[in-house]
Amino acid sequence: MKRGEGSTKRVFHYLRAINAENIKEWKIELTYKPDFIRQFIEPFVYLFPYLLYGYALLGGRYSEHLKDMTGIGDMVAYTFIGYLFIGFLNTACWAMGFSLRKEQWYGTLETIFVAPVPRWVYVAGMALHSTCHQGLIMLIQAVVITTFFAIVLKMGGLFPALALVLLMLLGLYGLGIIVAGLTIALKQWWVVSEALSTLIVVVTPIAYPLAVLPIVLRKASMFLPTTYGIMGVRHFMLGEQLAVSLPTIFLRLAIIMVVWLTFGMATFLIMDRYGRKKGSLSVY
Amino acid sequence: MWVVVEEVRKSFKILLAYPVEVVFWIFSPLLWVIPLVFQGKALIGALSSTPFGALAGTDEFIPYVLIGAIISTYMFSAIWSMGNSFRDETYYGTLEHILSSPVRPAYILLGKGLYNSILSTSFVIVQLLICVFIFGLEITLVKVFPIFLFLLLLIAGLYGIGFMAAALTLLIKEAHGVLHMFEYVLFLFSPIRYPVEVNPITRAVSVFIPLTYALIALRGLLLDIEFNFWKNSIILLGIDCALLPLGLLIFHYIEKRTKTRGTLADY
Repeated sequence: MKRGEGSTKRVFHYLRAINAENIKEWKIELTYKPDFIRQFIEPFVYLFPYLLYGYALLGGRYSEHLKDMTGIGDMVAYTFIGYLFIGFLNTACWAMGFSLRKEQWYGTLETIFVAPVPRWVYVAGMALHSTCHQGLIMLIQAVVITTFFAIVLKMGGLFPALALVLLMLLGLYGLGIIVAGLTIALKQWWVVSEALSTLIVVVTPIAYPLAVLPIVLRKASMFLPTTYGIMGVRHFMLGEQLAVSLPTIFLRLAIIMVVWLTFGMATFLIMDRYGRKKGSLSVY
Repeated sequence: MWVVVEEVRKSFKILLAYPVEVVFWIFSPLLWVIPLVFQGKALIGALSSTPFGALAGTDEFIPYVLIGAIISTYMFSAIWSMGNSFRDETYYGTLEHILSSPVRPAYILLGKGLYNSILSTSFVIVQLLICVFIFGLEITLVKVFPIFLFLLLLIAGLYGIGFMAAALTLLIKEAHGVLHMFEYVLFLFSPIRYPVEVNPITRAVSVFIPLTYALIALRGLLLDIEFNFWKNSIILLGIDCALLPLGLLIFHYIEKRTKTRGTLADY
């Protein structure tokens, strides 16, 4: 009984620490209001070139070739759904990966690392904050774009689509934890983040189906949570024809999630131990 | 002059301490083009588009976006490298040292500008060579001189903006957001990834951006698209004449202001 009470207390203790980390991040971000607002504009800035480029190529909005390949002829709707959820990739690579480097700049890394909670609690706090923040950004983006371009989504597919997004997110957070861990050892964190996110964006079917990729890239994309997440969401919300069955998508996404999260936590713990052993935790 | 040379030397020494960054900046603009190539294939099912040709002057969209990506190296350099140049000195703890040395701060700024120009041009040359040897881009020797002329005119205008960005970071310290806004404007409203004629708003705003004229001219030279050589040169020269002195003036004013108010070393 006593042991049970102890573990419940510990869980609450950890949950409080996770929430404290989340609240702290909101407070820091809200201190720099212009930058906070800018983060809501950014997704539009990166989405519009894809759309304008599409308009320039097609001389309009609809593509017969895209329809033949995917069942969706509306280039704007196709690209928008693809781009909407890739925002979580940036969250994983930049917000989570950057988190430890930021603490280093603030001079608080050692302070938070000696707090009486395991390291994963800190990472979980960052993940919670990132999910809330990116979720809010996505919601605003979705409302603005669907209204402005009059995109009609299949609302019946919303819940299974959200289930897929959840699995994709957890997989991506595995990646975020890897980048956060690598930041401890490799101080040039941003090169790792940028290189990883660029390569993932290339092989993920954001604005094009997998069929246009060369075979090597198509194979590589099978190991990414974003591939299944975006394909599945587009299927549920827009009716994209799938080359892989839905149960396979869920299964593969679940496996990828477990592998990436495990690998991420292992990398983080190894790098953390390495950093403290070498005494390089506070080195710039 | 000596100060400018020393500043360039110092900056290269710092850069060579982080060799991964050099590799990253050479290849990343080329990587950014790949999604656009696949998007084109998915939408058109071919490597050329007639509607695109009507707007851009060439049906072939791959060389078009490739050149845009390569030349955007200068945009990123002017905004981020120049914008952060004095901010980095704050992080290193050397800002007060260099600004209290017995030289005019404008020379230090020019040194940083020269360093970034040399570096970006080296990246652009390597990227162009990759395009020549791997993607079969043809550049005849006759075109080399006009290409460098337009690059020079572009660099001058963009570094005028870069000087303003550097000054801004002295003033508002965490200028990350403002630099992003600079980037967004240049990225969205100049023909880096698509012909700006596709939308009336992008077309109207692009008129005020030096990158627009340089890209028209450079694409014209490299892809044999018809363009008005003298018109683009004169407009670019006019923009340079306005932006360069304005950038230096703003930097001079803000640098003096931060010294007077004692906020130079603030984070």
